[in-house]
Amino acid sequence: MDHRKYMTILKLDDAAIASRRAFFSISDDDLARLASLRPLAEKVTDAIVEGFYALLLGHPETRKFFSDEATIRRVKRTQREYFMGLFSGRCDLAYVEDRLRVGAMHERIGLAPTWYLGAYRQYLQLIRDHFDAEIKDPAQSREAFFSVQRIVFFDVALAIDTYIAANLEALGRHQAAIRELSTPVIRVHDRVLLLPLIGAVDSHRAQQIMESVLTHVVEAQARCIIIDIAGVPVVDTRVADHLLKTAAAVRLLGAEVVLTGITAQVARTMVQLGLDVSSMHTVSRLSDGIELALGMVGKSITNKGS
Amino acid sequence: MSVHGPIPILRIGSTLLVSIQLELRDAVADAFQADVLSAIEKRGTTGLVVDISGLDMVDTYVARILAETGRMAKLMGTSTVLVGMRPEVAATLVRMGYGMEGVRTALDLDAGLALLGHVIAQRK
Repeated sequence: MDHRKYMTILKLDDAAIASRRAFFSISDDDLARLASLRPLAEKVTDAIVEGFYALLLGHPETRKFFSDEATIRRVKRTQREYFMGLFSGRCDLAYVEDRLRVGAMHERIGLAPTWYLGAYRQYLQLIRDHFDAEIKDPAQSREAFFSVQRIVFFDVALAIDTYIAANLEALGRHQAAIRELSTPVIRVHDRVLLLPLIGAVDSHRAQQIMESVLTHVVEAQARCIIIDIAGVPVVDTRVADHLLKTAAAVRLLGAEVVLTGITAQVARTMVQLGLDVSSMHTVSRLSDGIELALGMVGKSITNKGS
Repeated sequence: MSVHGPIPILRIGSTLLVSIQLELRDAVADAFQADVLSAIEKRGTTGLVVDISGLDMVDTYVARILAETGRMAKLMGTSTVLVGMRPEVAATLVRMGYGMEGVRTALDLDAGLALLGHVIAQRK
């Protein structure tokens, strides 16, 4: 997914960024301080990037993301740019967009947040060590480090948000795929439809079933739709209620529902729960249901002459 | 053809045909009911087909008017078939718990007239 898409999903506009900045305590002084640290940052950037990759290349889980020398050279270059970006003295829309690009890239290659966060810890430690070595005044070094820490945590939050947004987006796509698969309406014969239900029916799916059934009945000008529930593991009061509602709506359109695939277990449950499904035609076997439905459109199944 | 209300009522032989094309606000719904019943009263009618394919929304009041009109027509010896209900209308009515029990329905005008013929033949 493109990083610009994340900007939209995460609703990152000027106001949202200002709100985040306030929460991470990034003041204008911090940004000015970071900008003034640029010469120092340039001086230590190679050492920090080397120290950073020493950790990443030293652990089997992170080592596998760097297949060859060319990749390592490339990511080190990117890392230098990223590092110098911390000292840009900016924390605006362009900065966030740049950070999301990094987050989106890590999400794409499948680097889990664990390693991402661990790497950031190493990063902060390296920066602290180098600042302490380079800045003589301890109080000044401490202030400089805190400014970096603020912007780094700001970055981490963006990265984690990107991960979550990407996962939610993937989840949404999978749900859409399941939705499409969950109500396959088949044309059995002219004006006779069949909907084989497989898997649990919750109220969300029940609603889709109703919509799909009604739309198909009108589109196909169907006289009858067979709903086969042999593949539904549990038929309780709620499921039965959904089926009855669907049957009532189908009847309003001027068609009928035949319910098939009622196993002994389901029949027993229905009666024990006191469910009245007399408004639907019910049969046990699908073949009987098809025969019944064909009868409604004036057709019948006969043997070919022997 | 009756020209009293905003909804035209067509007569084909002994069958009345009403196609509702505009939103049934309460006053229009009442006029519709009155017009249909007086049309039945005026001349011998055996069947009534109400086409609601033009309605993308039917509230409980309109649903009740439609069901009631069917029952009233029945008392006057006329069988009613409601045709052309849209899927979303059916889904909404059922969700509101309004199944319009006792009302005959058909997919379209063609099926509605066929059903009516069948019902009237059975009655004789």
